Order: sequence, then structure tokens, then C-alpha cells
Amino acid sequence: MNRLKGIFLLASSAVLIAGAALAADDTVKIGWVGPLSPPGGYSAGKEMKWATQLAVEEENKAGGILGKQIEVVYEDTKGTPDQGTAAMEKLVNSDKVAAVVGEFHSSVALAEIAVAHKYGIPWIGTDVWADSITAKQYPEVFRVSPANSLIYSIVGNWVVESGFKNVAIMQEATDYGVGAVAVLKGILDQKGIKSNVITVQMSQQDFTPELLRLMNVNPRPDLLMMIIAGEAVYPIIKQACEQGFAPSKDTAIYSGGGPSLEKELWETTGDCAKYLISEDVALPTAQWNDVAKSFSANFQKQFDRPPTGTAMESYDDMKIVAQAIRDAGSTDPKAIIQALEKIKYKGTRGDYGFSTESSPAWAFHQFMKAPIMLIQYDQVKQSPDQAPILYPRDWATSKDIVMKPEK
Amino acid sequence: MASYLLLQAANGVVVGLIYALAAAGLTLIFSVLKVVNFGHGTLYMLGGYAAFYAIRLLGLPPALAVVAAMIALFLFGIAFERLFLTPLYTDKVERKDEYAIIVTFGLFMLLENAAIVVFGPFNRSAPSFVRGAVHLGVLAITYDRLIAAGAAIVLLVLLSLFMTRTMIGRVLDAVSQSREAAAIVGIDARRYYAVAFGIGAALAGGAGALIGPIFTLTPTMGDLPSVKAFIIIVLGGMGSVPGSIIGGVLIGVVEAIGVAIYPDADRALAYSSAFSALLLVFMLLVRPTGLFGRRHMRME
Repeated sequence: MNRLKGIFLLASSAVLIAGAALAADDTVKIGWVGPLSPPGGYSAGKEMKWATQLAVEEENKAGGILGKQIEVVYEDTKGTPDQGTAAMEKLVNSDKVAAVVGEFHSSVALAEIAVAHKYGIPWIGTDVWADSITAKQYPEVFRVSPANSLIYSIVGNWVVESGFKNVAIMQEATDYGVGAVAVLKGILDQKGIKSNVITVQMSQQDFTPELLRLMNVNPRPDLLMMIIAGEAVYPIIKQACEQGFAPSKDTAIYSGGGPSLEKELWETTGDCAKYLISEDVALPTAQWNDVAKSFSANFQKQFDRPPTGTAMESYDDMKIVAQAIRDAGSTDPKAIIQALEKIKYKGTRGDYGFSTESSPAWAFHQFMKAPIMLIQYDQVKQSPDQAPILYPRDWATSKDIVMKPEK
Repeated sequence: MASYLLLQAANGVVVGLIYALAAAGLTLIFSVLKVVNFGHGTLYMLGGYAAFYAIRLLGLPPALAVVAAMIALFLFGIAFERLFLTPLYTDKVERKDEYAIIVTFGLFMLLENAAIVVFGPFNRSAPSFVRGAVHLGVLAITYDRLIAAGAAIVLLVLLSLFMTRTMIGRVLDAVSQSREAAAIVGIDARRYYAVAFGIGAALAGGAGALIGPIFTLTPTMGDLPSVKAFIIIVLGGMGSVPGSIIGGVLIGVVEAIGVAIYPDADRALAYSSAFSALLLVFMLLVRPTGLFGRRHMRME
């Protein structure tokens, strides 16, 4: 009897293993990395995952790639580099993915690309801005979002052209925050614009002591900038408004990094976000192509919220990888990388292609035409695509380069 | 300069009182059950969301929603104690301290991640108690903050009265001083553990509900207040409710003044928690039992 049991168990195991192996051959596996739980930016991660799911649904409905359905393996990197490394090791060695897309935190991305480079697996960053990610010039690494140098040179030029003289910058002490401020300060220092950098803890909720301190200095800053990707921006906006500091006729307020584009901005700040300035990595609505319009409508329908630029990046990222695998005609990593280098893809954010220039260093495998614009809310509960565009001026829908409240 | 520091201190007092409320719950749980509740921050978070959904789904006014949240967390606390902590009082568990840490830490992990799934990852904000602000010079203190601080004072005073003027409160106080001595006079401490945990949870939930209109609601909103609560109860003295009040106010003021006067203005805000930690270190060196702690207190 025991022998029979043993034989039965062995046979069942063999069938299961064979079945799993067969099932694995039926799909093309792509890895997805991003924060889905604390301490990572899980709200952004959730939106990115939704957008990826939409992209995969569409691809699979259209027949998949290379005659197979796409199977995405989602790994929660929790916003910590060690989790990023662990996720990549699992995706590459255990799940045997053809490529990896995603990530929201630059610090985590830097850990992930080390693994991608070690194993030669293509990795395409979704919304990670630190220059160093592509500046390492790993052949496997590509990026669909802008780099800090691209974004903050535009933001810096806007600050200069708007005539601000005294800027207070609240930064998160991460690869993104520090890198962004370095680019921004470089421009401000060059133009003789005074700037003070204040480092914040992301978990903090009461910023009143710091805001009081800024209000007590003479002269008071005329622009308060937040280079913070997390939800710490919401209490800062609310408390700056409650204190009568910003937005006011004397001090404007800018938020970089994403949360200022979410609909929760209005729920958490009330009407304090009116006159908030933010950058957006999507194209102006007037320039949306059919892909952008279709994606936006589907996203709104499925998730009851308009997609942010981050969601668009995520959608395009997955579509680009799918296209690259199609162009390569195989899931061989080297072939996919070669296909990515030559790719021409029409996405929600315009026509994608990756630079192969090595100077500046961060330009390597960077989407150089990533759209960047500065918007300013002039109505309460306004969505980002409805907000007036301040900059670049050839896209501007506002006659003023910055709008200020009357008091 | 003096008026500027006073303004900073005023803001610190207001915020510190709310943290003191959460700390009072933690100190009560510790003093009676001798359990360090690592899940206390999540109780604070649950209170915030309970009030939010009481307003949104039941249409309760914000003030009543705070009461509803406290009742909900009281019942939750009792249920948690009965379900997961009763092995501590039997011989089934050998390493009781480690068991308590694992169970309460597990509570923290489970609830925080469950909150992301159930409440969603996006920030929320509860409606104001009363819109508007009082202006003290440059400082604007919103009515929400004043109401929250006032409510915290009322709740803490009620707690003190409960502990000194009611039979159950005196029993809890007796058990917190010494289980053995309480047993000698006929008090079965195990009968009151659930009440203590329930009250502690209710206080944490109340603090979270009061903070809802002031800051934002997120599944991780309890992480930093949890750390501050631990600092406060050690500073004020383990098991001392008046100590929690004084400790909370001290923390709030020290952090606010620290940010105001720290020479490197660019790093002052990032170091705000370090100022209270330094105060804690100083207190441990000078008076290890805290301001109002009991010398004989130890883990039984």
C-alpha cells in the first residue's frame, strides 16, 4: 500500500511539473516592478500597475506576441532598494522573464538595473527620473520618463523667466530629489537667484514649524517648491495655505513629482491647491493622438479616474516592450535590446525612440522627446488636462507665465 | 525672536497633545498587560479611517464620528485581546515577552497592508470640524487643531478621572502597580486585561480620528505617531497618564523649537524627530524611569 502511494505521488508530481513547464512555454513572461506597499509610493505604483494591466489586456486581445499571450509577473518593490534587488533576482532567475518594466523610485531603480546588467536582461524604467539611471550607460537599461536634467532644466528656466528672486526648495533626500535639486540649483545659482534647500522626512505630516520659519525670514521666499514624489506634498500644500504663506500674491507654490496630478489632491487640500503649479509628463490635451484619447477613455472607464502622465508612461512602457519583442522575433534578451535601440513607437506621449548618444551621459537609451510641461490650476477640483499650461511658452494656454491670487 | 519661538511652541503644544492621547493608550496597555503593543500605530490609523467612513457612509457629523471611531476601536481592542493575547496568561506560551512582540508586530503588518487593500492606497482627508483659524501673530492655528487639542485634553482628563475615581479604573491602576499585590487583595487581573486593551485602542483610535481633518489619512499614517508614542511613554514614565500628557507636550514643543533654532536651517526639518529622541536619551540618563514613572515597574 505504501509503495502504491509513493508511485502515485511520484506520478502526480511528474504530471504537475510537466504541466507547469508546458504552461510556461505558452506565454511570454514580462516582469513588472514597482511600489505596491509601504514604505514605497504605493498610490503611484497602483496606478502604474492598472495602466500596465490595460496594455496587456489590449495586447492579449489582439493575439499577444509571437503567437503567445503575455503574462506579467508583478513584483512589489516596496520603495526599498533591497526589495528591488530581490524582485529582479526572482524575475530573472525564477520566473525567467524576457524583460522588465516599471519602477517609480530612482533609488530602487538603481539597485534593479545592477541586476539587469548582471544578467543582460532588458529593463525599461517607467517613472524614474534620476540622471544616474541611464548615465551608467548599461546596454540593458532604457527609460521612457524624462531624466532630472530634462525636467528641471525646463523648470529652472521657467523660474528664471517668471522673475522669481528668492526660492525655498523642499526636497526629499533620495536619488530623485537630490539629483533634481542639483540641476535646478545649478540654473538658479547661474542666474543669481537666491535659493534655500530644506530636506524633509517623507513620513512627516506637520510642516508648520518649517513653514513658520520660512515666513519669519527676511525677505520671505517668493516661490515655495516641493521636489517630493510622495504624498508629503498634500499636508505641505494645506498647511502653507492655512498659514497664509502660499499660494498668495507674494509667494507662489510649485509641486514636482506626481501627487499634485492625482484627484486626491483636491480631497486632501480642499481649495488650497488652486494656483498650485506642477509639471506634467503628458502631452497637452490639444496634442493628444488617437492612442492617448483611447487610453484615457478606457482608463477613466475602468478605474473611475483620469490617467496621470505616470499612468501614460506605464501604458506606453509595456506596449513598447511588446513591440520590441515582436520586432526582435524572439525573447532573446540581446535581440530585444537591439530592437529597443531601433524602435519607433507611437504612444500616448508621442513618438518614442531611444537615443544612443553618450553625451551627456544620461542621454544614453533615454527617450529624449519626453514631453514636459508646467501647468497651474486656476479652478478648484480641476483635472491636470484642463489646467492652463504655463510653460514651455510655445505650448502655453495661459497668457501669464505664472498666475497669482489677489491676496 | 521671543514671539517667534512662542508661536512655534504654541503649535508644538497643540500637536503634542494629540500625540499624548495616542501615547496614553499605549501606556495603559503596557502598564496593565505588560505588553508593548507594536500595533498601536495601526490602531491610530484605523481610528482615522473609522471616523472618515462614519462620516461618509453613515452621514455622522465629524464630532460624533470621533466618538463612533472610539467605540469601534474599543470593541476591536477587546476582540483582539481575547483572540490573540489570552495565551499570555496561560502556561501554553513559554516565552511570553517574545510572543507578545510577535503578535502585536504581526497585527501591525497585517492591518497596515490590509488597509491598503480595503481602504485603497490613495490619500484621504476627513471633513473639518469647523473651518477657519485663529491668528496669533503670524501663526494661524486652525479651529480643527484647537478642537483636536481641546478634545485630547478632555479625553485625557476623563481618563485620569476614570483611573482614580471609578472602581474599574482603580482596579486597572492596582494591576498596573503590581499584579501579585492585586491578586492578594482578590483582584483577578485577567478579567480586566480586555478592558485595558480596549480603552488603549479607543484612545489611539480617538487620536487618529481627531487628526483626520488636520493631516491626511493613509494606511501608513500611524508609523511616525507610533514611534512618538513610544518616546512619550518612556519620557513621561511608563504607566503614567499625567506623564504621557507632559511627555506629549514636551515632544511637540521640543520638535517645534528645534526646527526653529537649529543652526543649519536646511536640515532642521529633517532632524525634527531627532530632537525628541535626544530629549529621550537625556531623560534616560538623568531619570531612567521617566518624569512620573514608578521605580518598581518591571515586566512581570
